Amino acid sequence: MKIVYSWLCEYFESKPDIDFLVTTLKKLGFGVESIQKIGPDCRGVVTAKVLEVKKHPNADRLKVCRVSTGSEEYEVVCGASNVKEGIIVPFATVGAKLKDSILKKAKIRGIESCGMICSASEIGIEDNSDGIMILDENLQLGVDINDIFSRDYIFDIEITPNLSYALSHWGIARELSIFGGLKLKNIPVENNISITKYLDFSIEIKTADCYRYAGIIVKNIKNKNTPFFIFDRLKKIGVNPKGNFLIDLSNYVMFELGQPTHFFDLSKIDSIIVRQALDGEKFIGLDGNIYKLSEDIMVIADNKKVLAVAGIIGGIESAIDNSTSDILIEVANFNPVSIRSSAKKINIKTDSSYRFERTVDYNLIDLAIKRIIFLIKQTNPQAEICFFKDIKNVIPKDFNLEIDIRKIEDIIGIKVDTKMIFDLLKSMDNSFDGKFFKVPSYRHDIKSIWDISEEYLRYIGYDSIETKSFMQTFKSKDDVFWEIKDEFSRRLSVFGFNECYTYDLVSLKDIKEIGFNVNECIKILNPISSDFEYLRPSGLPSMLKVLRYNINRDIKSVKIYEFANTFIKNDNKIEEKRKLFILMWGFNNEWEWWKEKKVLIDFFDLKTVIDFLFNYEVEWLDKGFNFGINGGVIVLNDKEIGWGGEVKKSILKNFDIKVDNVFYVEIDIEQLRDSFESDFYSLLKKPKKPSQYQSGIRDLSIIIDKKYKFSEIRKAILDVEDIEEIRLIDVYEDSKLGKDKRSFTFRFIFSSYNKTFTDEELNKKIEKIFLILKEKFYASLR
Amino acid sequence: MTKEEWLSKLFQIEHYFDTIKNSYPKSDIRDIFLGKKGELTLLLKKISEIPVEHRKEVGLKGNELKKMIEEFVTEDYENVSEVLNEIDITLPSKKINFSFRHPITITLSKIIESFKKLGFSLEWGPLVEEDFYNFKALNFPDHHPARDMQDTFYIDGLFDSEGKNLILRTHTSPVQIRTMLKYKPPLRVISPGRVFRSEAVDATHSFVFNQIEGFYVDSKVNMCDLKWALENFIKDLFGNSAKIKFMPSYFPFVEPGAQVEVSCVFCSGRNINCKVCKGVGWLEMLGAGIIHPNVLKNCGYDPYQWSGFAFGAGIERFTMLLFGIDDLRTLYENDLRILRQVV
Repeated sequence: MKIVYSWLCEYFESKPDIDFLVTTLKKLGFGVESIQKIGPDCRGVVTAKVLEVKKHPNADRLKVCRVSTGSEEYEVVCGASNVKEGIIVPFATVGAKLKDSILKKAKIRGIESCGMICSASEIGIEDNSDGIMILDENLQLGVDINDIFSRDYIFDIEITPNLSYALSHWGIARELSIFGGLKLKNIPVENNISITKYLDFSIEIKTADCYRYAGIIVKNIKNKNTPFFIFDRLKKIGVNPKGNFLIDLSNYVMFELGQPTHFFDLSKIDSIIVRQALDGEKFIGLDGNIYKLSEDIMVIADNKKVLAVAGIIGGIESAIDNSTSDILIEVANFNPVSIRSSAKKINIKTDSSYRFERTVDYNLIDLAIKRIIFLIKQTNPQAEICFFKDIKNVIPKDFNLEIDIRKIEDIIGIKVDTKMIFDLLKSMDNSFDGKFFKVPSYRHDIKSIWDISEEYLRYIGYDSIETKSFMQTFKSKDDVFWEIKDEFSRRLSVFGFNECYTYDLVSLKDIKEIGFNVNECIKILNPISSDFEYLRPSGLPSMLKVLRYNINRDIKSVKIYEFANTFIKNDNKIEEKRKLFILMWGFNNEWEWWKEKKVLIDFFDLKTVIDFLFNYEVEWLDKGFNFGINGGVIVLNDKEIGWGGEVKKSILKNFDIKVDNVFYVEIDIEQLRDSFESDFYSLLKKPKKPSQYQSGIRDLSIIIDKKYKFSEIRKAILDVEDIEEIRLIDVYEDSKLGKDKRSFTFRFIFSSYNKTFTDEELNKKIEKIFLILKEKFYASLR
Repeated sequence: MTKEEWLSKLFQIEHYFDTIKNSYPKSDIRDIFLGKKGELTLLLKKISEIPVEHRKEVGLKGNELKKMIEEFVTEDYENVSEVLNEIDITLPSKKINFSFRHPITITLSKIIESFKKLGFSLEWGPLVEEDFYNFKALNFPDHHPARDMQDTFYIDGLFDSEGKNLILRTHTSPVQIRTMLKYKPPLRVISPGRVFRSEAVDATHSFVFNQIEGFYVDSKVNMCDLKWALENFIKDLFGNSAKIKFMPSYFPFVEPGAQVEVSCVFCSGRNINCKVCKGVGWLEMLGAGIIHPNVLKNCGYDPYQWSGFAFGAGIERFTMLLFGIDDLRTLYENDLRILRQVV
């Protein structure tokens, strides 16, 4: 909300210092977002008359002017096209200060200029301006510009919903007087609202959502020029004043006191009925829009039509126009929830609805009426009050709170100064006796001792909160997900992976392009754009986009991972899973190095990474995966924990990725929980003692049918006694080996805690292994 | 034996040699290939089975391999002069990427470590939430204007038990409710994670970002405990000279509520032209306060028996300060040229 400094100051007995105001507002929790200085920013600039304008002898564009400040005459050079003889202008003499610079004597194209005729921007009145500023012709000469245009400040203040009672100049002033010690002045009002010429009129409330409704009829308003101070103030806070007093006055009172009001043209209405709208009822707003209403929207109507949506927007059919002289002034109070839901429903937000939905003080109506009548009478002494009715439909109860100092101390942690708290509460409730606090009607936010604690802290200053604690020491428990993340990150770093953070929302196109079933995906009702319309069912689109981004920036090796969630719909239930996405592409040894050749990443590099993450305890089931053929499902302890492999070329093409050999894995972290909580990782932390005997090494080359997968062959011989490790050191395929055959060369490491094996023993073991292979897989020696 | 069979066998032997030559002592290699029953020795003997016209060709190839293996097995230290060992030690080493964690994770780790020291444990919550946990139980009643402070994304076609659309959580605070409903006090919990606000992306806003939530519930918890805990954390993150300041603020789920400001980590309030704090000297970093009695009641805790403090902060803001990043979007672009500089 915008607050004008000079306007605010009007409510105080003495003008507070600007810095004091800013500091106090911040101290009270009003965020001061900006302070705009307006008015002239100059010194030594006075009014002057242009006596003569001549062409500059050496420049077509320039003019030589003779100006008078009343006491002296000067010759100056001026470049503005709007300079004319006889006009009054702001004139800076040599030595004047204009914003941040000092004006010096200057020679312009051979002619000495003894001063400067200024534009509005040069003296700081406007941000941008064209030509020199032309002042009122009736002004005296030699008057300081600062005496003509007053300096002012406009604060932009953030007012959180709990402080809505301060959504006005007067509301802020009241707050500053209670919490900042500034003394308030009375606002000029008309206390005597007497009816001078009675008119029969009907006001009826037919809905419980209208708490209070006051209607005053004022006739014979003839002077409809908005007084300058109202016009100027509305302009400063960014409300476009219309110049029509009746329209501007309604706005002015709202920004002054915080009470929204509405003025109807009396000639256009026959009565006032506050009721719920009928389903399908139509209404044309002041904004020219046609609104279709429904039963849950509260309206102000007469016998024939809807006049306004209550508390939100007035209607064109009953609006004030230039010929209006008789009006009905509505000053009302409505149920905030009703206003908020109605405003949402017809999708409109006004300064009025903004205040009503944040709760307006029930008793503010009294002050607002007196103030409005006062302001009308100021310019229209002839105006007549013909009707005044104030219906209190729902009366709020007084709210008393017992002040328990001990509880406040428990909440804030410091000792309460009883005098301070008494002073504070007394200033809000004059009847406060030290025990029971009657919450003033405008402080609808105060409901408990916690709220009083905050008020006390605001009063003494939050700086009084000390940095001290009696918190007992406590051991935090380890978190399995965080440990998994930490452990995996560390392990992935071995291969040079980088962690990414990508958006959880993707487009429909992304989902279609990886071939995912859109019906299983979760759509956002109100996306910010179609690029981010769905929760991602897989990390693949996001990872591919990161790949593309980096390929386009000439990166030759992209190894990335992200810990994030995937979302799918299953039987109208959300399945949200924590996942690890891994993508790799490019060269294994990413930067050229003189000692080695660059090697392209292939499937087995991916497999190495995954095996390494899981201590070589996972298995791959060779059954392909959704996004490619060369790949499969990853199994740990008989549980499917993930899938992945080489990404299909068609998908890469969809993402405009012009390379292939892109490998992707998605791991379901949730599934790992058991493994991590069991001894899977604790084994890692307790190393096995190596045997003190030398291990024996034997190689074995066999030829075997291709239909046998390596994993089954390995499994068949894994349990042979004393095998510490089986390494596959060569895979060789050649038509010479026979049709559909291949050759494996194994290296076996045998070891025992009891002895060193003799050659003979080792040979026997190898024979045994070969025998198994021969029997099970018809293997032959190579 | 045909010439082709012979050459194929020779090729296999060469392949085998290449595979194992460095894994056995050289004497064993000599035995395997060149010994009396060595693979190559036996093959060379079979030259006699090959038609005469091809013998010269295969012989040449066989001897080539034999010479290569012989050279390999006889080469040893004594024969190598010191001069040959001289290398240009200024040749470059291998470049290795070791910048694995994202700046956001690094920041988060520091924050978590700091609170772990004070006994806080991690808890997690879902990103797709129900109105109850995200708003209602946190003292945002239906139609409360405070709901406007957070622009919410709604899920299409999926509803909670009250028939309200599911939403993407707008803050990490629902974890407070979930945790309090699940456990009994005392509780010390932190909960990091992603949150969503329907806001356009710019240098300081994003519709996805990370937050961390923290809360402590015990028999007597007050504003001073809160300030103490937060100052501990801020010092862990920014060093001993960092100071914090509380200002009044409003969040429906705390009362009294505070905005926590941290002395500018760049200028410590000494530079009126500081770009980071804009000369103010303080940076708004966290929201905090005493858990609102309504929140405690909603979780079945008696607010006169239990009390607690809670705080929340955006992680990215800390990340940007710690890493000197001035555009939030940088963190979600994943430009490896940037990420690789972060260790």
